[in-house]
Amino acid sequence: MRIKRPLQAAALIAAAVLLGLLTVQGTYALWSSSASAAPGTVASASFDVALTAVPSGQATTMSLASGQPANLAISPEGTLSPGGSVYGGVVIANNTNAGGAFTTAVTVGPAVVSNVSGGTLAQYVTVNAKSAASAAECTATGSYPPLGSAGLVSPAVAKGGSTVFCFQASLSPSAPSTVKGQAVNITLPLTARQLCGVPGGC
Amino acid sequence: MKNSTLIKGTAAIAVGAALLLGGGGTLAAWNAEATATPGTIVSGDLDVVNATSAGVWKDRAGATINIANYKVVPGDKLTYTQDLTVTLVGDKMAANITTTGITPTNGFTSANVSVTGPALTIGTTPVSNPLTPKGSAQTVTATITFEFLSTTSGRANVDASYNFNNVAFQLQQVVAGSGLVAQS
Repeated sequence: MRIKRPLQAAALIAAAVLLGLLTVQGTYALWSSSASAAPGTVASASFDVALTAVPSGQATTMSLASGQPANLAISPEGTLSPGGSVYGGVVIANNTNAGGAFTTAVTVGPAVVSNVSGGTLAQYVTVNAKSAASAAECTATGSYPPLGSAGLVSPAVAKGGSTVFCFQASLSPSAPSTVKGQAVNITLPLTARQLCGVPGGC
Repeated sequence: MKNSTLIKGTAAIAVGAALLLGGGGTLAAWNAEATATPGTIVSGDLDVVNATSAGVWKDRAGATINIANYKVVPGDKLTYTQDLTVTLVGDKMAANITTTGITPTNGFTSANVSVTGPALTIGTTPVSNPLTPKGSAQTVTATITFEFLSTTSGRANVDASYNFNNVAFQLQQVVAGSGLVAQS
């Protein structure tokens, strides 16, 4: 009876020690060390194309904050007479904040000439276009090739650079007097796209 | 009863006296001694630290950029490298170096970006674990690439950001070869 009790106590202690050792197995790990790096944040650029109409002076970004395309009114000065023309243009600036190269090309699509208030003037109006280096070239000076179905593509516009499209709207010499006083809306779709400005990236 | 006690007491005194005599040095016969010098045991070392305080970002052309003010566009491919100094000392030292990978905060459309790494290399050779001492500290390079794919269309992911957060590197000693036993 005297021996049995100490034996039980010893067994209990041994079991407790064993259990304790088993539960702290993770502490016998070998050496280890760690380091960390913080590469930081990669941020993408804006695709910011600014438009300024000539001669109206209206300015906007090509895409609105909502993501919708902007409308820009060129509003050429003067009136059309048979055989005559009016002129306007748009200055297009590549205002991206890209860190590297970011070159764009701008395309003006075929013009859509539509009558206003049931008129018949549209069929006598043609639209020609040319690329220019400055808005001052958007006058009667120089030749204006027809704006065909393929549209007109600007030269490459580098980051921070700009280009100009000049437009000529002409009234056919054969326009009848019945179209006097009528007006047309001319829609010219503009599209800017990124060229492969990143060397080897495309 | 008294005699017995007296006898026991006398015997105890006799034993004590004998022990005292035995502990004295004056009765020693020949003896000699020698010494050994086991030497000093020196522990090794295991450490990994950033070789430089910050890694380096480069563009596709290899030009160094400041990621804090660099804005990527579709077609951009950036590479981040961080050199790590690995110290391993010990006759039986061996260690594996690993990374916990990237846990980013990604504001891009996943299909428009390609992120790889961190890939660990020594020079241009992928790390082959376990590393062993080479007589001096070793430089392990961790490389991460970020590509904004040129297939991105429209105005997708303009003004987006991709935060890499922290990338951790772990150097863990392992038991390699004989003579070193992991406790279990």
